[in-house]
Amino acid sequence: MQETTFNELADLALRQSGQSIPASKSYLMEARLSTIARRENFATLDDLVHCLKARPNPRFEQEVAAALTGKSTSFFGDRELLDKIVGQALPKRLEYSKTGRLRVWCAGVSTGQEAWSLAILLREAVGSPLANAEIEIIGTDLSTLCIETAKQGVYGHFDVQKGLSIHRLMTNFDRHDNGDWSVKPDLQKQVSFRRHNLLEPARDLGQFDIVMCCNVLNGLAKGAQQQVVETLSAHLLPDAFLFAGTGEDLQGISPSIKPSRALRGAFERDISVKKTEAA
Amino acid sequence: MKHCLIVDDSRVVRTVAGRIVKDLSFSVSEAADGAQALEMCRTEMPDAILLDWNMPVMNGLDFLRALRREEKGQEPIVVFCTNENDSEHISEAIRAGANEYIMKPFDADIVESKFAEVGLV
Repeated sequence: MQETTFNELADLALRQSGQSIPASKSYLMEARLSTIARRENFATLDDLVHCLKARPNPRFEQEVAAALTGKSTSFFGDRELLDKIVGQALPKRLEYSKTGRLRVWCAGVSTGQEAWSLAILLREAVGSPLANAEIEIIGTDLSTLCIETAKQGVYGHFDVQKGLSIHRLMTNFDRHDNGDWSVKPDLQKQVSFRRHNLLEPARDLGQFDIVMCCNVLNGLAKGAQQQVVETLSAHLLPDAFLFAGTGEDLQGISPSIKPSRALRGAFERDISVKKTEAA
Repeated sequence: MKHCLIVDDSRVVRTVAGRIVKDLSFSVSEAADGAQALEMCRTEMPDAILLDWNMPVMNGLDFLRALRREEKGQEPIVVFCTNENDSEHISEAIRAGANEYIMKPFDADIVESKFAEVGLV
């Protein structure tokens, strides 16, 4: 890969997703873009970048930027966090809900497995107070292609065998003749997906009881991390919970959030920041 | 060290699966059909069985039903590993006492994930 190609791709990643890729990790670009390059018949990444410059295509740029993030996802990939959300965070929010309606935002959801996993756990919460709650899950991602996959809810033979027990697969998916599996229609009613870049405001998303953002912040430039956290925190209802993935730390990224007093490991919007700014 | 019995009439599948399961810190033994596997279980009941469906002499489903009738035959965790990937076969296997189900083709991540689902790793 030529140095100019690396620079173009690094600039694209930073511009589109806030990701910072140092020159020492140029090999990651080769690995992460190999599938797209092969599919689009580019012999080298130099050819791919040349095409991007010669014939600008916003959708393809998005796809390249999304591939550069290298986010891998699987069903129940962060089981510890999902258990905490279903076992603790949502029941706490339900206690204070007057309507029995709760909203969850899965930010950076890639091809949707995280959102479907949450929906499956909620479906299994028979006997819990959550069984009677109306819980809406919204997944967003930078990549139009990923969101299209998530919306279809159709996953291949290998995808459904990583993280899903056979019992959960049979209960929540229908098998197609070609060997793919699709999320059952009743589960699909609970989850919706839309494209959104976390570096941009999301005015029409509304406010949430839970915002989860797993494996997104690692690898972002510092300024981009702060921007993303501020976007996320702006959509938290009062005392609502913000979670990063297990092992990721939100501490110190933005003054807009602070550790939750109600739930260890969660963060909440720091309303004193706004008040101080206003004063 | 836990012991896994791999039951498949394909030597290639037994070898590939054996390597994957050894990497998960299991000792491994092999059988080429259900009848041979049942004899081996009568001698020493394994902790886990990775089980093909279509085999000569005794197929995987008949083996599983026979195994579950044996003294201590409820103990091994049985993971089917087969080309029979439709919902009817999967349901039949679960009814017969399978704990998990791997649809071929498989890779190391799938075996590890399925073994994790049933508490083997």
